[in-house]
Amino acid sequence: MPYLSEIQNRRVIEPNGNVVGRLTDVAVVPQGQFPAAQWAILATPGGEKVVRWADLAQEIGHLRLRSRLEATPPAQLPPDALRLARDLLDKQIVDTHGAKVVRVNDLQLSEVDGQLRLVGADVGLRGLLRRVGAEGVAERIAGVAGRRLPRGIIPWHLVEPLQAKEPEAPKTAAVRLTIPHQKLALLHPADIADVVEEMTADERVAVFQQLDLETAADALQEVEPEMQAAIVSDLPEERAADILEEMDPDEAADLLQDLPEDRREELVDLMEKEEASDVEELLTYPEDSAGGIMTTDFVALPGEQTAAQSIDQLREKKPDPELTYYLYVVDAQGKLEGVLSLRDLVVAPPETKVTAIMDPRVLKIPAETPKEEVASLIAKYDLLALPVIDARGRLLGTVTVDDVVELILPRGWKKRSLRSIAR
Amino acid sequence: MGPGIITGFAGNDAGGVTTYTAVGAHYGFALLWLLLLSTAGLLVIQEMCARMGAVTGKGLSDLIRERFGVRWTIVAMIALLIANGSNVAAEFAGVAASLELLGVERIVSVPAAALVIWALIVFFSYRVVERALFVLVLAFVAYPISAVIVHPDWDSVVRGLAIPTLSTQQAALIAALALVGTTITPYMQFYIQASIVDKGIDREQYRFARVDVYLGAILTGLNGFFIIVAAGAVLFPAHVIVGSASDAAQALGPLAGEQAKLLFGVGLLGASLLAALVMPLSTSYAICEAFGWESGISRNFREAPVFMGLFTFLIAIGALVVLSPNVPLIPLILVSQNVNGLLLPIVLIFILLLAGDRTVMGDQANGRVSQVVGIGTALMASALSIGLVAVTVFGL
Repeated sequence: MPYLSEIQNRRVIEPNGNVVGRLTDVAVVPQGQFPAAQWAILATPGGEKVVRWADLAQEIGHLRLRSRLEATPPAQLPPDALRLARDLLDKQIVDTHGAKVVRVNDLQLSEVDGQLRLVGADVGLRGLLRRVGAEGVAERIAGVAGRRLPRGIIPWHLVEPLQAKEPEAPKTAAVRLTIPHQKLALLHPADIADVVEEMTADERVAVFQQLDLETAADALQEVEPEMQAAIVSDLPEERAADILEEMDPDEAADLLQDLPEDRREELVDLMEKEEASDVEELLTYPEDSAGGIMTTDFVALPGEQTAAQSIDQLREKKPDPELTYYLYVVDAQGKLEGVLSLRDLVVAPPETKVTAIMDPRVLKIPAETPKEEVASLIAKYDLLALPVIDARGRLLGTVTVDDVVELILPRGWKKRSLRSIAR
Repeated sequence: MGPGIITGFAGNDAGGVTTYTAVGAHYGFALLWLLLLSTAGLLVIQEMCARMGAVTGKGLSDLIRERFGVRWTIVAMIALLIANGSNVAAEFAGVAASLELLGVERIVSVPAAALVIWALIVFFSYRVVERALFVLVLAFVAYPISAVIVHPDWDSVVRGLAIPTLSTQQAALIAALALVGTTITPYMQFYIQASIVDKGIDREQYRFARVDVYLGAILTGLNGFFIIVAAGAVLFPAHVIVGSASDAAQALGPLAGEQAKLLFGVGLLGASLLAALVMPLSTSYAICEAFGWESGISRNFREAPVFMGLFTFLIAIGALVVLSPNVPLIPLILVSQNVNGLLLPIVLIFILLLAGDRTVMGDQANGRVSQVVGIGTALMASALSIGLVAVTVFGL
């Protein structure tokens, strides 16, 4: 995927290989989600020339005109055209209130349906380093230190060029960009998290005030842990407590663990009883143990129950899909007896007791198990979830594969794959 | 008070007072012509920056980034960082020198001042303290009074203003470049433009703001003039080589007599603390603005790591330089103003290219007079810089 800084200043050659100049800029008309590159601005010995982008072919290391420069029809930029390097590069992206957020360090272009399109604004450190030709070096240095350079790309459809307020003001100074909140809500929560991570503290709080509770909770779960705590600290308490209730109990507990103690207690007090007690229980386990990362949401079937009764129970509770991978069977004391799948339950004769169809050889772990060990068990046995028990064998919760996916996958992979899926 | 006059005051810092005193003490009135030229240059360049702020609504580092891209921005910001870093060291030297006059050792005063300034910025509003420090700086009103009651030879003052003379000895070039560097600091140009933008002054209001900008530049020039005249009339005939703050304080002797040290000490302390407070902050703002990093004193280290880190670094490095063993304070201050003079041409070129550019400034771009005076100022600073480097390196 090329960046503007990588194709800018490329040599432009005629079909016979004769060098006619350099590419100085690319122009688009800012309409639609991802505007297509329509014109190329060339610096030639005879001055600046505008040609249609379609008259150029991208080749390795240079651009080739499809016909000789004299034979290529000169093009005219319409008044609403934007020149990427002149009008967008190095400009600030501001929020809707006009406060500054970040700067456009580079522009990301991508081939979509055979057309080169503007797909994102790089506002991160990588873009800055790329502009001075130091991205590779910096990446290697960061790699030695065991870290990755942060990416900061805002998808283009979230960004709107603002029109100049004063008509007499020169155009180059007037192009500003904005991220409207309404558009933000349409995104996948993981993408909202990415965008929010690039914002100022005030802007972040504004976003989490406006999103609906469920989206806010999903997005907050995807935000970097340190920033989660900062956002929750800055939100009004009532709102913070409402969002925490909507989050998975294990994620909420992790977040609360990062807050100062008095703030944590305040928030737990404000939460609904049921959610609060789940979270409080989770808070008693160390953060990096099975107890710290598990969720207390799971489906537990009493052993004396029949298959038909169990299906009724599921129909009534409507558990989240990821909780129905495994159904756990417990005795009257809550002790874990076995496991069965939804399929086992459905194909069994309705009057069969669940203890008869369950598999009693269930792999389980004590709450104190380190999370790395949990991750390797899940990976080794290809599990989707692992039950967590206390000293007396009672079922406390489950660790699902998405709780440990970061420990299984190579660093940074999750983040990138989410970005590419969402795009 | 408008942004112009405040900027004029800010130029009246440890570097300014020390440089003007040394110039007057060592060369009498002979370099007054250079002060006159520098003030004219300052007036024109400050007006350019203020106009850019009013027309574009953007700071200087903002414009440099948008017009010249990342690489040139790095060049400009490194120049600003070095110039302002040396200024912060000079301010801490001023703190040390003034409190040594009042009997406090620098091993106590400098770390204490650094800590207090850092804490003020991070935990409190420095605006309140800013006012209080302004009052201390008023002690320097003593200079015009001293300069008049000492009855200088006004004929030679006028001759000094009108006839350009300059020795090509290294010491003379150091003094001359320090004089230019302290009168037109790179710092002031960023500061005035940021103040105009902060106050939301637009094209309409700029007509009035311009008067304030001119007054500020004239204030800077007059302030330098009276310090040089007082020092030239009192210290020069006595062949005093300014090696310490108590030497410099003697220039106020005709007015304050025995109390001269106290008066000078109080003024220098106020001026140094004020600049040591504002300088690291505005440097961090300018640099973060250029690179799109989060800034603002209401942020914490996690939210704005570069911003908080930068001014902490500037305060720490400034204090450490002064605390390193056997650093002579007065020469340290003079060298810091030379650093400003050396880097001034770089910043001036950016300002001239921007203020003269119609795609940035529209019909408010520089006229011919502004452009010629600006180029002249840049050439003057460059010539002195090249001259000093040549004399130093080749021992001509």
